[in-house]
Amino acid sequence: MGNRYVEMGLSAPVNVTWEMTFACNLNCVHCLSDSGKKRAGELTTRECVRVIDDLSSSRVFQLNIGGGEPFTRPDFLDLMEYAHQKEIVTCISTNATLIDEEAARRLDHRLVYLQVSLDGATAESNDAIRGKGSYNKALKALELLRKRNMAVSINTVLTRFNFVELDQLTRLAASLGAKSRVSRLRPSGRGKDSWSRLNVSKEEMVEFSDWLNRNLDVSTGDSFFSVTTEERRALGLNMCGACKLTCCVSPLGEVFPCAFLQEPEFRAGKVPDDSLGALWDQSSVFQSFRLLEIKSCGSCPRFDLCHGGCPAVAYHTQRRLGTPDPGCLASCVSVKSDWTNADV
Amino acid sequence: MHNYAGSRSFRLAEGIQLRREKFGLLFYNYRGPRIYFVPSGNLIGDNFFDGRKTIEQLVADIRREHDLPGKELRLRLESLVRLLEYKGLINGQPLC
Repeated sequence: MGNRYVEMGLSAPVNVTWEMTFACNLNCVHCLSDSGKKRAGELTTRECVRVIDDLSSSRVFQLNIGGGEPFTRPDFLDLMEYAHQKEIVTCISTNATLIDEEAARRLDHRLVYLQVSLDGATAESNDAIRGKGSYNKALKALELLRKRNMAVSINTVLTRFNFVELDQLTRLAASLGAKSRVSRLRPSGRGKDSWSRLNVSKEEMVEFSDWLNRNLDVSTGDSFFSVTTEERRALGLNMCGACKLTCCVSPLGEVFPCAFLQEPEFRAGKVPDDSLGALWDQSSVFQSFRLLEIKSCGSCPRFDLCHGGCPAVAYHTQRRLGTPDPGCLASCVSVKSDWTNADV
Repeated sequence: MHNYAGSRSFRLAEGIQLRREKFGLLFYNYRGPRIYFVPSGNLIGDNFFDGRKTIEQLVADIRREHDLPGKELRLRLESLVRLLEYKGLINGQPLC
C-alpha cells in the first residue's frame, strides 16, 4: 500500500477532476454541482488549452472529466483530442444522451474511458432520478460504444431506490460490455436537497458493504472507503485522496480539493492564471487539508481501512471538517442490535 | 549463463507513464491498477527506462555518485526490474 509515499507529498496530482461546464441537458435530482445552464465566466477554449498545457507540464497522468454534461461544450471533442496528444488519459463522466455515431468515432481512442451514468436498471427507476427518456438515450449510446469495443463503465450513484437493483445493473452492464461502478451520493449541489430522501439507511449501507465484498469486480473509485472491508483493501487506497492524489478544477477554473468541496473556503486559486503545479505545492488550503486528521477516529479498529472516511460528507452534514464520516461502517454496525459490541 | 543485468535494457510498456517523486518512482498504468510506487529514492532516474542502459551500466552510474556495494546493488536492481517486468510495467529487450 502506498499511503506512506502519498503522505510524503507527490509533485503533482495523479489525476485531476475537471468539471468543464455547468451546462447540462438533464436535471438530475442529486446533481453534485447543481448543473443546468452554462454560467458566466466558464473557461473559454483557449483557456482550456492553457489548462491542458499546464497539467501536461506538471505531468498529471489522468483527467476525470465531468460537469454538467461535457458534451454540451461545442469544443469538447477538440479539447479531448488535444489532451490525448499530450498523452493525458481522459476518464469522461457523461449522461451519454448526446453521444452519436460521430462522437463515438472521435472518442474511440486508447486513452479514453467513459463512465456512463445510469441510476436505475429500468427506465422507470432511472428516469425518476435523471429525467424522462434519459435511460433509453443512454442505452442507445452504450450500444454504439459497445460496437466499437470502447472502455466503458456504467456508474450508478447509490440511493435507497436503486439499492435493490444493483445485481440487475451489474448484469445490464455486462450485457453491454461495460464494467460496473457505484459511487456515493453526497450532499453537495442538488444532493443537499435530495439527501434525506435518497441516501441509504445505515442498515442498507451494511448490506451494501456485504454486496461489494461479493462483487470485487465492481469499482467504487474512492467513494466508499468508509465502508471498505478487508476483502477490498487491495483494490485501492484507504483514505481520502483530496490534495494528496487529486484535486478538482471547476468550470470557472477555480481549484478545489475535490468535486464535493467546491465551497469558497476551500478555493485554492484559479487556473490558467495560476499554475496548477504552484497551487498544488503552495496553496494554504491544500497544505492545511493535507494535515487534516479525524482525531476521534484514531482509536477505531477500522481506522487503517478508512482514515475517517470522506471529509466532504462530514463537512456537508456537520458543517466542519475533522469530524467522522457519518456513513462509517463502524457506526453503521453499531445500530444493528445483533452486531452490537461485535469485534468489527 | 544468461547475463540478465548486462545484456538487457528496459522500456516502459504500452500505456505506462512514469514520474520522479521524492520517494523514488511513480508508475501509472492506464489499464489499472492505476499507480505503483517504487521507493528507490534518487538512485534511479526515469530515463533508465528509455531502453538505452543495462542494469550493470546503471549500477556503475550509481556507484559513481554513491558509496554502495556493487554486488548487492545489482542484485536489488535485478530483483526490482524483474518485478516491474512481471507486473507489466516495463519490457526488457536485448541491448544490441
